Amino acid sequence: MLNPRWRKVIRDLWGNKTRTLLVVMSIAVGVFAVGVIVSTQILLSTDLSASYLATTPSSAILSVSPFDDDLVETVRRMPGVLEAEGHHSMNVRLLVGPNEWRTLNLDAIQKFDDQRLNRLAPVSGAWPPPNKTVLIERASLGLTNAKVGDTVTVELTDGRQLGLKIVGTAHDLNKPPAAFTGQPYGYINYDTMEWLGFGRLHDELRLLVENGTDKKAVEEAAKGVSQKIEKGGRSVFFTWIPTPGKHPPDDAVQPMLLILGVLGTLSLFLSGFLVINTISALLMQQTRQIGIMKAVGAQTRQIMGLYLGMVVIFSLLALLVAIPLGALGAFAFVGYLANLINFDIQGWRIPLPSLLLQIGVGLVVPLAASLWPILSGARVTVREALNSTGIGERHFGHSWVDRLVESVRGFSRPTLISLRNTFRRKARLGLTLFTLTLGGAVFIAVLSVHASLMNTLDDFFAYWRYDIGLNFSRAYRTEQITREALSVPGVVGAETFAFARASHVHADGKEARPVTVLGVPPDTQIIQPKLLRGRWLLPDDENAIVVNATVLDPENDPDIHLGDEVTFKIEGRDTTWRVVGVVQAVLQGPLMYAPRSYMERVTNNVGRAGFVQIVTEQHSLAYQTQMAESLKQHFKDAGMNVSGTETIASIRQQIEYQFNILVVFLAFMAVLLAVVGGLGLMGTMSINVLERTREIGVMRAIGASDGSVLRIFLVEGVFVGMLSWGLGALAALPISQVLSQAVGMAFLRAPLSYEFSTQGALLWLGLVLVLASGASLLPSWHAARLTVRDVLAYE
Amino acid sequence: MFSWLRRQKRDEKVNGRYRHGNEHLIEAREVVKVYENAAGKFTALRGVSLQVNPHEFVAVVGKSGCGKSTLVNMITGIDRPTSGDILVGDTAVHTLNEGQLAQWRGRNVGVIFQFFQLLPTLTVAENVMLPMDFCNMYAPRERRDRALYLLEQVEMAEHADKLPSATSGGQQQRVAIARALANDPPILLADEPTGNLDSKTAESIFRLFMDLVQQGKTIVMVTHDRDLTRQVTRAVVMADGEIVDEIVNQSVTPTTVFEPEEVR
Repeated sequence: MLNPRWRKVIRDLWGNKTRTLLVVMSIAVGVFAVGVIVSTQILLSTDLSASYLATTPSSAILSVSPFDDDLVETVRRMPGVLEAEGHHSMNVRLLVGPNEWRTLNLDAIQKFDDQRLNRLAPVSGAWPPPNKTVLIERASLGLTNAKVGDTVTVELTDGRQLGLKIVGTAHDLNKPPAAFTGQPYGYINYDTMEWLGFGRLHDELRLLVENGTDKKAVEEAAKGVSQKIEKGGRSVFFTWIPTPGKHPPDDAVQPMLLILGVLGTLSLFLSGFLVINTISALLMQQTRQIGIMKAVGAQTRQIMGLYLGMVVIFSLLALLVAIPLGALGAFAFVGYLANLINFDIQGWRIPLPSLLLQIGVGLVVPLAASLWPILSGARVTVREALNSTGIGERHFGHSWVDRLVESVRGFSRPTLISLRNTFRRKARLGLTLFTLTLGGAVFIAVLSVHASLMNTLDDFFAYWRYDIGLNFSRAYRTEQITREALSVPGVVGAETFAFARASHVHADGKEARPVTVLGVPPDTQIIQPKLLRGRWLLPDDENAIVVNATVLDPENDPDIHLGDEVTFKIEGRDTTWRVVGVVQAVLQGPLMYAPRSYMERVTNNVGRAGFVQIVTEQHSLAYQTQMAESLKQHFKDAGMNVSGTETIASIRQQIEYQFNILVVFLAFMAVLLAVVGGLGLMGTMSINVLERTREIGVMRAIGASDGSVLRIFLVEGVFVGMLSWGLGALAALPISQVLSQAVGMAFLRAPLSYEFSTQGALLWLGLVLVLASGASLLPSWHAARLTVRDVLAYE
Repeated sequence: MFSWLRRQKRDEKVNGRYRHGNEHLIEAREVVKVYENAAGKFTALRGVSLQVNPHEFVAVVGKSGCGKSTLVNMITGIDRPTSGDILVGDTAVHTLNEGQLAQWRGRNVGVIFQFFQLLPTLTVAENVMLPMDFCNMYAPRERRDRALYLLEQVEMAEHADKLPSATSGGQQQRVAIARALANDPPILLADEPTGNLDSKTAESIFRLFMDLVQQGKTIVMVTHDRDLTRQVTRAVVMADGEIVDEIVNQSVTPTTVFEPEEVR
């Protein structure tokens, strides 16, 4: 049987269900946010890592001139090499609609049933795929516009078109997610590869080495293998060493989870404020009861125990709601991410550390938040408690803020009451405003991040001013390419670039990761980079090179500086270059620019190019797609084989899609914060109504109608909302800059082109007005329903 | 008959801190109380001295603002004197801290307010059990029985499971008296206990007090009703923070039927 004091607690909780619900919801929102983020983090790291490691990922992948199994065997026998496997990767064009082509990346696998590295898993259909058939990566099947059993048309670099039957699907965790690349992946056997005209040789060597978790050891081993291959007369074009044990998209997912984690913690922190407000108000409302309990023998610690117990009950109720919802949220979130990243979750569960953390923060944060109000409330003396009127006249009229508000004139009397009531409980107003302001600021900041992402995208396309890019199956004369391109109606410009991969050769002979070098005409109209330091290329330049800012990143190559003479290995030869300028990098990795004519000489391709960038009259996706086909046909008619096309509008669409994923996640957290803010306002307005019950009675007694009472509280709520909006818009300025910077560095490795979202601020104004009206409506309605008799009976 | 009035236990920490050897049950010595607020200083008690003996029924009368409630608040420890001593039994009340005061009050003094001050979310019986709960008096199993017994004494047993809001003002004051008796204190202090009641109900409450004095309790009651002064052992008249008169009624003397109770 419960003691009377605990029965009082239970009945206080039950007696004011709205208040209980608000506090429980406030705590639950914070715990839910933390639960979703932490569970997601844990599920992702365990399940993704487990799935990824199960594929036996390569320690290094070398791109090598064609080789056979003898070389694989030789490498396999090298000391320090645990496994080696030869592969061939090729691109063909896939017909996905009438006159609509997409690049299909094909991987040739020698032994489907004895894969050693980067293992592919069967999902459906035939395994292994018979000759002249293809398996499609499960996540990219949608991009083929076909289904298992269909025969699709592929076009080879020589212009031949062949039919390939899709016989099933497979799961490849080592490919970049199709959702991000927009590219379908297919898997064929070596007979099919030969039938397609690519021969039977490998061009990619995958390695598994000893101490594979040590990147330095992997680099050393890969270097040894590379030297061995080159000694045998073959070229190693580049070596890619993935971060050991980490699935590649992890680099993007972890920072996002970190940002979301910060926002989740923030919402928990803000929910603590709501607890402070509610508990303070509860204690104020029950001051007289505290006095009576003390008068009949209760000690301060007993009173504290009573109210802390109440907070624990709030917390437990919140945990009951938040833990299952958080688990569901995390499961949905991980499911969404799993779908994006293309991996399988290993069953639905609540990770124990996440559960313990939720219970911990769900109990500790509300208790810590309520400790001070409970301590000060419980310490009230009997005399103070019994003399307490519960009406806050002593809280208004003394400070300069009150005097300022008092001096406002020209509004109706009820509006003035609303305005002055707003400032009566300044601490409560402060906490409510802080919660709502921060919610609003983060909301505006998230939309500013979106605006900044789009701004960055605009900058990217201002940087690359072409509409269509065409790749040829082999190099053609640049003069011929340009002439033919310009002869197609609708084409207003065409430029060819030279292309190479260059590895910085350090003084000790070690080579850095290869970087793309574009040979461009110094007066190029297609590339308009923003110069940060030094100068752009001049017509007389020979071995001058301009690097983008990413090249100079310490993690890329700390040994390159403006003005340096640098040795790059291009096409197997060491060449010396002088770094003359640094340009801004927008949405791109390390990239260098050199004079085209000099690059053509270095790459032994004078007067010839393998691809061309076209500027068209119009820039819509439909126009670019149609023009790409016209150009391809035109070049074909001219006897030049186009192996691939890309349109800027489709690239933009793809990037926008990726950006939107990011913004959706951020917006989810912003909405949670806004909900916490709304709950805070609703709690405050409920408390205000409760505290002013006697005043409402007085107003009623002197003739205030239902509408007048309702309006007084509604206007007060809306006023708080407006005030928080102004403060939130101001606070959003620094917050959005920090968030944009963080998002830019985390996902693009460069700051975004920042833009404050005025639209976001206006949208939040609309939302906060709706939120404030909604949050005040219920308490105001309650206030309007109170009769004078109710008020007299009020204790 | 009054076996339940026996003391349950002694708390050395709260009681017996200060043995003054006083023969009186309650003694106020030269008590001054000055309040300060924005308007300035206000002296509510100006060197008041008062002695109350066991089994006395003392009424403190006077006009509004004369300091009578302040004086009672000093005795209950609800307020502290600016100077002077408050001695109740062996305890110097003014030297106790808030925590000690709460426990001491819960066990030794029953307080009855003008506006009853029952906790609205607890039933009548639970309100009566609350002081036993806070002061850890009586075994938890016995508390309800005792509460019902006390409610029977004040003729409220049939309303035991009602919430206070379901009872009348007079009934609530009876419950408040039962609650004041919960821990069997030797002293009851009542501040205008009939001030919020009609004359008939007030009369029944007063009778209840008379019965309690007969049963061995000592009562100090603040009232502005001068008619009541004829029915108590002694009436202390206050004006402007001072005791200006004392009326001793020979016809109503302290009972000697029962052994005086100790203040624990």
